[in-house]
Amino acid sequence: MNLHRVRRLGSVLVASQLRSGRSSSDPKSVFGQPALIGVIDVVVFLIAFGLAELALGSVPIPPSVLASVVRAVLPYIPLIAVAAVLVAGVMFELTSTAKFSGSDSANWLPLTPEEYVAASSAAVAYTYSPAIAFFLGAILPFALVTGTFPAWIAALALSVVSLFEGAFVVEMVRSVTQRMSAVAAGRRGQVTLVLRAVLIVIIILSFQFAFNPVFLFGILQHSAALDLVTEVVPLFWSTQALTEWLAGAPALGLAFAGAEVGFVALLLVAAARLRQRFWVVTAGEVRLAPVRYASGHPVLRAFGLSPTEAAVVSKDLRGYVRRRELLPLLVIPVVLIIIVLVEGAAFGGVGLIVWIGWVSGFFALLLATTSVGQERRALQSLFAFPLTARDLLRAKIAGVLVPALVAATGTSVAVGLLFGLSALGVVGVVLLNAALSIVLGLWGLVFAGRYSDFQDRPRPQYLRPAAMLGAMGSGMFLLLVIVVPGALAIVEPVGPNVGWVLWTIGAIAVSGVLGLYWARAGFDRMLRELPF
Amino acid sequence: MNALPSASVPLSGAAARVNPLEVDRLSKSYGPVRALADVSFAVAPGQIVGLLGPNGAGKSTTMKAVLGLIRPDAGEIRVFGQNVREDPVSAKRRIGYVPESPSLYEFLTGAEYLDFVADMYAIPPEVRRDRIPQFLAGLELAGHENSLISGYSQGMKQKVALIAGLLHRPHLLVLDEPLNGLDPRSARVVKDLLRNLASADGVGVLFSTHVLEIAEAICDQVVILSRGTVLARDTVAALRDRAGLSGSGLEDVFLALTGTGDLSDVVAALSR
Repeated sequence: MNLHRVRRLGSVLVASQLRSGRSSSDPKSVFGQPALIGVIDVVVFLIAFGLAELALGSVPIPPSVLASVVRAVLPYIPLIAVAAVLVAGVMFELTSTAKFSGSDSANWLPLTPEEYVAASSAAVAYTYSPAIAFFLGAILPFALVTGTFPAWIAALALSVVSLFEGAFVVEMVRSVTQRMSAVAAGRRGQVTLVLRAVLIVIIILSFQFAFNPVFLFGILQHSAALDLVTEVVPLFWSTQALTEWLAGAPALGLAFAGAEVGFVALLLVAAARLRQRFWVVTAGEVRLAPVRYASGHPVLRAFGLSPTEAAVVSKDLRGYVRRRELLPLLVIPVVLIIIVLVEGAAFGGVGLIVWIGWVSGFFALLLATTSVGQERRALQSLFAFPLTARDLLRAKIAGVLVPALVAATGTSVAVGLLFGLSALGVVGVVLLNAALSIVLGLWGLVFAGRYSDFQDRPRPQYLRPAAMLGAMGSGMFLLLVIVVPGALAIVEPVGPNVGWVLWTIGAIAVSGVLGLYWARAGFDRMLRELPF
Repeated sequence: MNALPSASVPLSGAAARVNPLEVDRLSKSYGPVRALADVSFAVAPGQIVGLLGPNGAGKSTTMKAVLGLIRPDAGEIRVFGQNVREDPVSAKRRIGYVPESPSLYEFLTGAEYLDFVADMYAIPPEVRRDRIPQFLAGLELAGHENSLISGYSQGMKQKVALIAGLLHRPHLLVLDEPLNGLDPRSARVVKDLLRNLASADGVGVLFSTHVLEIAEAICDQVVILSRGTVLARDTVAALRDRAGLSGSGLEDVFLALTGTGDLSDVVAALSR
């Protein structure tokens, strides 16, 4: 493996992600340099360290409590690293377009599969490194006070290894889902495309189950043999190594750490083999049923959409099922719902409603923020058609709300019945989640109309990274402001909680109207000039 | 050979006398880069105007401005006398556009895409059932229309983009390198079709190409752009005379006008 080539390719992949946005963005800008993530790491680390130092200095904490904090946090930082990469991987890393899979210059440059996988994984690991920088910074003052600094160093090293562990798994999923994209080649009919979509969803879910600590912990909590499993499952070897180290058994800790490194090396080999075998897919001919050239989209038009708006919505809905890069979006609510099912009993009434509401709102937000950027360069066609900004906005609202409302209603009814909510409670949850889907959908379109990223690149994004952070942060705030009072209102809609009912209705109305107003302004501005 | 359907409705009355396109003192800059400076020309009814120029001369920018895809810093564009900025949607209804590198929705089949385009222009079902198969047959795409576009070759995608641009019977065609990737037969079909639309139906055509033989063969007038400005605007014959190259082809005239005539040093350097 030529490490120089790995470093150069990795650097290009990181830069391609950072330089999203307008094609005219300055490549010399500090925000387009891969070193930026290193700077963010340092800043995040120092802020977390400073805050923890401040807390330690201002509140007297007994040494035994400090030691237990270290024991409770330090061993789990590598697990956070894996989980962060896998969850973000589903959302952002698996969305490379089929176009790039075949034409990516990495396929015809003299690179070995190992070199490509190493470079791509290093880029992913580096991109998500701020996730562990925060925890490592926050726990360092505790480690210094309790004399466990060597264990902290080990945690740092194992966290980096774990970032690569997650990144290698993402590479494996990339290759296997790519393979699924070719399965339909030469076949006929919509069923094949749906089957392909289902297979990809199952693959992503399988990898999530096998490697995501959130799932594994949820499942293992129900297992009597928790300790034994953490020793046998490779994913937990970093945690086990650090736990042994802190318990005064460094030799055993070293053994687990060595096993973890060996396992990650095996993942690299496996990921490289999968890439070698499945990556470059010859675009096969996928034949579908003949078109009657009479699409009136009567169902969509029944909701008041014009023929042109209905055509755009119909096109978007087909895209969700047929585009490999969009399928991971549909996986997200399934992943979150499974977490509800695994952890559901622990949530309780209000907690359960809040969680379902969060899932519904988050899904709508995600669909909306990606709905404009997914047009990619074909946006040029939409610009050339006789469409007004209002037409496009209405179409995008409908394109987001159709899947979001279906998911919200289905989830609400299923989870409500499963956890024994009353009939009135289920109705309340359905209404709340429908409202959340609408509000968060509009809120996502506020960002999509302004900051979508249309560039074709090895790691495409639908929204510029800073805007995605802004959309997610503000969207989550909006969600909490509505869903928590909403849940309280549903649990007890009379008496003292009547205030929560009014608050929820008011918050939905105000945020919905503001979202629509700002989304309109954004779309009006977007359609003034092609953004590339 | 399968005959293509008529791609437009003949203009009549006052509409037939108004220029389909007038570009007046158009300027556009991207930051410090001047893409267009004071570009002016017109396309008369039934006229085919070729937009020529080296890479980066501003041809695609001009065409995007005509469609209202970009906002000029100065100048005015009128489509059938109507300012594009004031009513872009009406202008787009009358224009058929084929971009330089068509980005189609590759997760749709060719037929689904054309049906989608027909929805965009509100083409009635009976009309699309009649015209789409004729276009598919004429450009030898019949039999492939129910396959996903992602499996098409570049030439097949170009044909779909061309059909999409002609489907709604536009009165002005704006074609950016329309013959890119087409096989000789299809290129000939498109060239003949353009000639026919211009002469029989009065359609105005603005098209860019790097293949100067094509421009020479079908253009009534050529506009040569270089670094965002109009170097020359005339018939090919007149340009030849102006360049003092009356016995030469358009390529020599083009190279002389754009100042890129003597290439021997470049070729020698590259051969080393």
